Amino acid sequence: MVKEVKVFSTSACPWCVKAKDWLKKNKVKFADIDVGEDEKAREEMIEKSKQMGVPVILVVKDDGSEEVIVGFDEGKLKSALGL
Amino acid sequence: MYETIIIGAGIAGITAAIYASRKRMNYLFLSNNFGGQMNIAGEVENYPGIVKTTAAEFMKVLKKQLDYNKIKWKQELVKEIKKTGKNFVVKSNKGEYETQTVIICTGARPRRLNVPGEAKFAKKGVTYCAICDGPIFKGMVVAVIGGGDAGLEAVDFLDNIAKKVYLLHRGPKLTAQKYLVERVKNNPKVEVILNAETKGIYGKVAVQGLRYMQNGLEKDLKVKGIFVEIGRSPNTEMVKDLVEMDEHGHVKVSVQCDTSMPGIFSAGDCTDIHEYQYIISGGQGATALIKAARYIAGGVRNGKNNIKKN
Repeated sequence: MVKEVKVFSTSACPWCVKAKDWLKKNKVKFADIDVGEDEKAREEMIEKSKQMGVPVILVVKDDGSEEVIVGFDEGKLKSALGL
Repeated sequence: MYETIIIGAGIAGITAAIYASRKRMNYLFLSNNFGGQMNIAGEVENYPGIVKTTAAEFMKVLKKQLDYNKIKWKQELVKEIKKTGKNFVVKSNKGEYETQTVIICTGARPRRLNVPGEAKFAKKGVTYCAICDGPIFKGMVVAVIGGGDAGLEAVDFLDNIAKKVYLLHRGPKLTAQKYLVERVKNNPKVEVILNAETKGIYGKVAVQGLRYMQNGLEKDLKVKGIFVEIGRSPNTEMVKDLVEMDEHGHVKVSVQCDTSMPGIFSAGDCTDIHEYQYIISGGQGATALIKAARYIAGGVRNGKNNIKKN
């Protein structure tokens, strides 16, 4: 099961908007984090995804395991979220 | 057999699809993503009827318009187009379809510098979308490469974000529109470096800097972000053996948006119009579709155009 979903994004990035709209459409609750504003979150995103592009979607499972998805990839999101 | 297959879902392809649907044509609308370069674009302020919006919002409205017209867009990557007699076979990653006409609206992608380190540090400091990744470089020293409109728009966008922006341009003079050049020249945060040819990008885990040649001397610039804005390359590989192109691979079109191959029409940033404006691509998309419909009907515009094979 999915415990938590975080979306690291920037304010004007079109792929970020698409990713967030897709999550909403699929009724997935997520924390919307603007890495342009939140410096700590920016560091977390870079550390976890090993890169500096947005969006990054972090899926935390109940067992504590994490899946990091770089970019808006419907296929990967579906499998990570068990949809 | 389809009457037309529209390839590409940027503003050119979307406009063509709207016209195809309203003409009740038997058509297919294929693209590997929805929106094309709108996915890496910022504000839209020069589209008649829309005072100001973002590319992301604009795409949402366009999607709504497709739904309203019951237009089905299929996410398929077209790999090949082949001529069979008078018609064409379009091969995608999901199927093969026969059609009387094809509308190529495949757009363009950001051009690469093709220097050492660029690929290694892509998304690790090197980016092709200032509007997307720019805010990540808050408070840092960055470089924008390219002195055209896109480059100076990126500088403008980074003004509120970066600590300092170097603008590197290959030529002796910035080529962007006047108002953009004035804005950059009056900005104390921006340092313009002319006659600068980028030679390489270096770093460890992420970018630490770049090297460039200026007047025969190799120089070094310590930056954490590199925004590459040196123009675009057309996505026209799939038709390279079918239609006449210019030296950069743009499909040559006439004012009718037809090509050197009767039955193939083209619109938008993949053509040799070289303007990269939503309104122009949209207008060409409508033109291409209407002319394709006339071609099918055997009308006066029967594909004999003014684009000659070399």
